[in-house]
Amino acid sequence: MGDRILLVEDDDPLGSQIVGHLRGAGFEPLWWREGRMLVAGELPDVSLVVLDLMLPGTYGLDMLKALRTFSEVPVLILSARNDTLDKVRSLKLGADDYMTKPFWPEELVERVRARLRRPTLQKDTLQKEQAVVEVGPLRIDLQAHAVQVQGRPVELTRVEFELLAALARRPQEAVTRQWLVEHVLDPEREGTERTLDVHVSRLRRKLGPVKCVETVWGVGYRLVPGEDA
Amino acid sequence: MKLRLRLALTAVAVTVPAVFALVQVEHSVRRRTTDEVIAASVLTQMQSGGRERCESAPDTWMVRTRSQRPPWEREGVPNLGDGPPSGAPNGPSPGEAPGSGPREPGSDGPPRGRTGDRGPFGRRLPPVSLFPFDGRFVSANAQAPVLDDDLREGALADGVGVRRYTKEQDGALVQDLLLRMPWDGGPCAYVLARRVEPADSPEVGLPPLYIWGVPTFILLSAMVLALGPVMQRLRRLTEEVRASSGSHYQQPVTVRGHDEIAELARAFQEARAEIQAQMAHQEAREQTLRDFLANTTHDVMTPLTVLQGHLAAMQQRILAGEPLEPTLMHSAMSEAHYMASLVHNLGAAARLEAGAPQVQHAPVDLNALVSRVLGRHQPIARPQRMTLESGVPAKPTWVMGDETLLEQAVSNVVLNGIRYGRLDGHVAVVLETTRQQTFHLRVIDDGPGISDEERSRLLERRFRGNAARTRDPQGQGLGLHIVHNVVELHGWTLTLAPSEYGGLEVGFTGPLMPPPG
Repeated sequence: MGDRILLVEDDDPLGSQIVGHLRGAGFEPLWWREGRMLVAGELPDVSLVVLDLMLPGTYGLDMLKALRTFSEVPVLILSARNDTLDKVRSLKLGADDYMTKPFWPEELVERVRARLRRPTLQKDTLQKEQAVVEVGPLRIDLQAHAVQVQGRPVELTRVEFELLAALARRPQEAVTRQWLVEHVLDPEREGTERTLDVHVSRLRRKLGPVKCVETVWGVGYRLVPGEDA
Repeated sequence: MKLRLRLALTAVAVTVPAVFALVQVEHSVRRRTTDEVIAASVLTQMQSGGRERCESAPDTWMVRTRSQRPPWEREGVPNLGDGPPSGAPNGPSPGEAPGSGPREPGSDGPPRGRTGDRGPFGRRLPPVSLFPFDGRFVSANAQAPVLDDDLREGALADGVGVRRYTKEQDGALVQDLLLRMPWDGGPCAYVLARRVEPADSPEVGLPPLYIWGVPTFILLSAMVLALGPVMQRLRRLTEEVRASSGSHYQQPVTVRGHDEIAELARAFQEARAEIQAQMAHQEAREQTLRDFLANTTHDVMTPLTVLQGHLAAMQQRILAGEPLEPTLMHSAMSEAHYMASLVHNLGAAARLEAGAPQVQHAPVDLNALVSRVLGRHQPIARPQRMTLESGVPAKPTWVMGDETLLEQAVSNVVLNGIRYGRLDGHVAVVLETTRQQTFHLRVIDDGPGISDEERSRLLERRFRGNAARTRDPQGQGLGLHIVHNVVELHGWTLTLAPSEYGGLEVGFTGPLMPPPG
């Protein structure tokens, strides 16, 4: 942590709140109480800019435009206007995200984190497919079709492996049941969500005692680092 | 300037120059014809004995004869008086001249007063006098007028020199024709024919007033008179239009007939209908705006009051040294959260009522939209121990739509699920795409759900601005109506069904768009 974040916010109470919350979340906020026309070299070394549009439409966007001429630092726009045109315009000018007031501090921190996380994520996806995925005690070799739990190899059927691999390709994300039925189960045989559930419980048994395959209510399943039973 | 005056002036301005031009044309035609007739007659006269008589007595020879009447006057008078009945073209036969020539060398011409010599208006035609000149333009006759250069040059060049000038004292027009004879030498090599038109002749001034003045006057009067009813109708139309505009265009304008004035009246009727429609539209919009403001105030004030109540209760507890109840805190937060959503909904409602031009269509990634919606409601769901879950495809799900409205719609459904969900309840958003290039977004909860009756009511009832805006006891009024309208606006399908977990399942279905770029 400790990423430096530039906050441009003219409202004092809101500015100090945001500074407090960012600091609480482990960031190093730098607060400008007014917008400045930025030129190259004037921008402090920060990982992200939180920019209030202040007056709807003009000043914040001008600043963003100037900033984009020399810097690719992620910019998160704050605006009181929930307006599609404003959003589209800001994104066109190079903003990375747009948040409408009011928002909860937690929401802002989450969005900042997500934005800072993104570059590495992109790098990951660029590598097309990782050969080996490690989630907690699980080690899944996608090419060798080999799975280890806490260093112990586990024998899986083809469907079980495909199921685990599908979840492993998107760790921490819920994969819907329907998707799994369509992409993992053998299309030759009649596959239903019920069949899928059966495969999942078999897989869980084989991976036990580690609880890695989590049921996501209403959605499907998710691969998590898990914990020992 | 009044229309009638302007029309009369225009008529005069056109008629007067036209009359003058016509008179000029007539004069010039008449003169040219007269010239030709005189030249021909003189030549004939000289060739049939005139030459001999002239050459025999060049110092005294001089003929004074009545002019040949031009052809247009001849035609109108079949009886040529005492002219030869053989129909000789010229009234005074050239044969007559030799007799009268030497006999009447004096100033008097042939006897006057013969009816056949009168023009159509009883005017007597002026006489023609002939004078001989030799090859050097010198006349032996002492009475011969002096020739000027124009005449001489004309006669040398073309055989005929023509000159016209006005006698100063009486304004009579004098016409001189110097003719070269078809022989050379002698005292009569050239003959000057002089004709004098009196000042009152139609060849000199304007034709008599009654000839052109009367028709012009009749025409003008007819025009001015004919304008009368037209003016009257125009005046009536003007009054009616004034009265109509004075009555906020309530009063119609009568349309009679099928002419241009009726067309004008009809055009005004159409304009009036258009104006009325515009005014009605404007009025409706203003009414909507007023209602909107009133309802907004009401809708926001209520949760704000609740929030103030919660804050006051917290303050009392703190002052009394009592610990704060987490539920109280959570209620306050949830009320603030609801208020934010309400204000967004009111904004969305205003845009939906304004119609399509306010809707911006752009590519929207539904995956990101779902994640933002969950992120927004997570802080409120967590203290309620509600779980918010979502499952989206691995790749972005691009659709065409208005991001703000779509987000608000999905957000409304999720927030309803949270607000009416039970403790430890769930709300899940599942986004799936099909091979038919459509998406299916479902919001599932395990809350109380809604009755069949209410479900169909929510789907059937169209959003009618004000009626739907009030916070109904179920609290789903405005939110779900906005959902319904947004889905309809995007041409998507909205389904409401009981979820397999006992709560409600709200489904959005629509077409995907190919990923941009």
